[in-house]
Amino acid sequence: MTDLLAAPSVVPEAAVTVDDGRTRRRLPLGLWFGIAWLVVATFHAYMASRLPWVRGENQRVEGAGRYRIGPSADFWFGSDKLGKDVFARCVYGAKLSITLASVSIVVGLVLGGSLGMIAGYFKGWVDRALAIVIDSLLAFPALVVAALLIGRFDVLQASDIQVAGFGFEWLTRRWSIAIVFSLLSIAPVARIVRAQTLSLSEREYVLAARSLGARTPRILFREILPNLVPAMVSVLFTGIALLLAAEGALAFLGYSIKAPDASWGLMINEARVDIDQYWWATIMPAAMLFMTVLAFNLIGDWVAKRFDIREAAI
Amino acid sequence: MSGFQSASRSSEGTLLEVTDLCTHFRTERGLVRAVDGVTFSIERGKALGIVGESGSGKTVLSRAIMGLLPKRGTVQSGSVRFAGQEILGLSARQMRHLWGREMSMIFQDPMSSLNPLMKVGRQITEPLKIHLDMPRDDARQTAERLLKDVRIPEAARRLNQYPHELSGGMRQRVMIAIALACGPTLLFADEPTTALDVTVQAQILDLIGEQRRDRNMSVILVTHDLGVVAGHTDEIAVMYAGRLVEKASTRELFANMKMPYTKSLLRSIPKIDEPSHTRLMTIPGRPPDLVNPPKGCRFAPRCAYARDRCHVEDPPLVAAEQPDHVYACWYPVGSPEFEERDAEILTQSVSIGATVGVET
Repeated sequence: MTDLLAAPSVVPEAAVTVDDGRTRRRLPLGLWFGIAWLVVATFHAYMASRLPWVRGENQRVEGAGRYRIGPSADFWFGSDKLGKDVFARCVYGAKLSITLASVSIVVGLVLGGSLGMIAGYFKGWVDRALAIVIDSLLAFPALVVAALLIGRFDVLQASDIQVAGFGFEWLTRRWSIAIVFSLLSIAPVARIVRAQTLSLSEREYVLAARSLGARTPRILFREILPNLVPAMVSVLFTGIALLLAAEGALAFLGYSIKAPDASWGLMINEARVDIDQYWWATIMPAAMLFMTVLAFNLIGDWVAKRFDIREAAI
Repeated sequence: MSGFQSASRSSEGTLLEVTDLCTHFRTERGLVRAVDGVTFSIERGKALGIVGESGSGKTVLSRAIMGLLPKRGTVQSGSVRFAGQEILGLSARQMRHLWGREMSMIFQDPMSSLNPLMKVGRQITEPLKIHLDMPRDDARQTAERLLKDVRIPEAARRLNQYPHELSGGMRQRVMIAIALACGPTLLFADEPTTALDVTVQAQILDLIGEQRRDRNMSVILVTHDLGVVAGHTDEIAVMYAGRLVEKASTRELFANMKMPYTKSLLRSIPKIDEPSHTRLMTIPGRPPDLVNPPKGCRFAPRCAYARDRCHVEDPPLVAAEQPDHVYACWYPVGSPEFEERDAEILTQSVSIGATVGVET
């Protein structure tokens, strides 16, 4: 009876079935845009030095009138007050911004994911102890902590303090930002992963694996971790978007990368006071930042919807 | 632990002895007496059916015996002897030698008891690799043979499929194959057919019975359906509110049931020879709260045959005329008090049935 009733609704779906029997899903336009943008942006960012149409990061174009010229065929995004090509700096900035954000979120996923899995699987006092740590990390205002820590790291780098024979000369702004962003992404990731693990560990296949004599590490890595991947991918994308924007905010406070390196946040901040004289040096990197954050968010949202993950804390 | 191996492999005698097993859960509302003093034993190669409503403690009982309940918040007492050795209260580390190899479990819902992200073949070979240290190719061949044993066509191709590519019945067969992989001597089947089509149910039960005979394996079949256990078990234990209320060989139980609860369960199943639109007899109310179980007989508040004594005194398990038949009831089926009340009830229900028939 139910089969008969259900039959008509099945027919239109069968119409989009491709030859190999799989149903073709129409991917939303936003997703296509997101993927296309990221492919183009990362390709440019990581191949910049080999691409003939991208000038050097700090290459100055000498000659009268080369400063602050508007967007043109020669300077796609114009040039800034030092005569540097804004397009080239946007591309090099992409490399730094995207690398910083992705590395930090990956570190956060590994550390936060492990904490969340341990808390969610073992429950009891382990969970309660970790919950206190996670909640207190979340209680800090992220940006204030970031600015504070980066400021301290600067002092540390300038000092000649040594730990076990190693100094801190390597602790440049890039490293401090990466460390701080990684630390800040641990707590939200741990919270999401913990919630997912709690629900996954109650699934019958986990009990089934236990009833067959599987050890705890095997259950964690074979039964639970693979099922966490969709949630983690979703966190990865939305997290990168969040950190990209956070880098921009840090630049405003003067705690981002230092010139002559380029990052989007830094470029926006450097040129914003002169926006009425040459708008392109601010608007172009801002547009890049906006599009990239949007692209990551669109992909992240699609993954989350596809796998039905409810965003908890991000 | 090799003691278990040799002891459990002999072909005769008692395999599992459960004595006065209590499993209580500490909760915020109080102590939940999910299993409260259950005693039974099972011979090698035999099938025992555990029957009861939802919430009667049958699933907790099987998980308590297997040691799968979380240690935290659980209070256990009594004794569970497997192949002559006490296993209640063993740590997970010690139980791991038994899980899969000596005892394994089939779950209710084949949709959720297989890992959706692991190929079927991998899920079958995992226990083989864990317990028997089988090399990959051997494990794969064994897996294929197991799938053939559980009557899955095109076994070799199925090994490379994911659970979502199989039907519910197929998945339950795969689950059985996984449970049988390491040749356990005791198989728990926790409502193995509840989530399946009626047509597939009989096939799965037959399959379990067939494997039991082939492997001389004991089976504990947990279900709420007396019809399921009727043709597939040697003995039946009826549970109510965490207690065993009647236990007998299957034949004896159906021929001569003593406990009004068992009788009511049977009367709630439709029968083929009754006229259509006959109203089924139901058991009013719901199973009692296991934090504060009722005084006296726990079934008394819902029992149509209960008298004053039932509400005050707890009936002990007593032996019936036949050996191995025990029940816990003051006024069992066949007693004059029962017959007197039963006559009234039956005339009532017949008149209700008749009116329903006229209306339609």
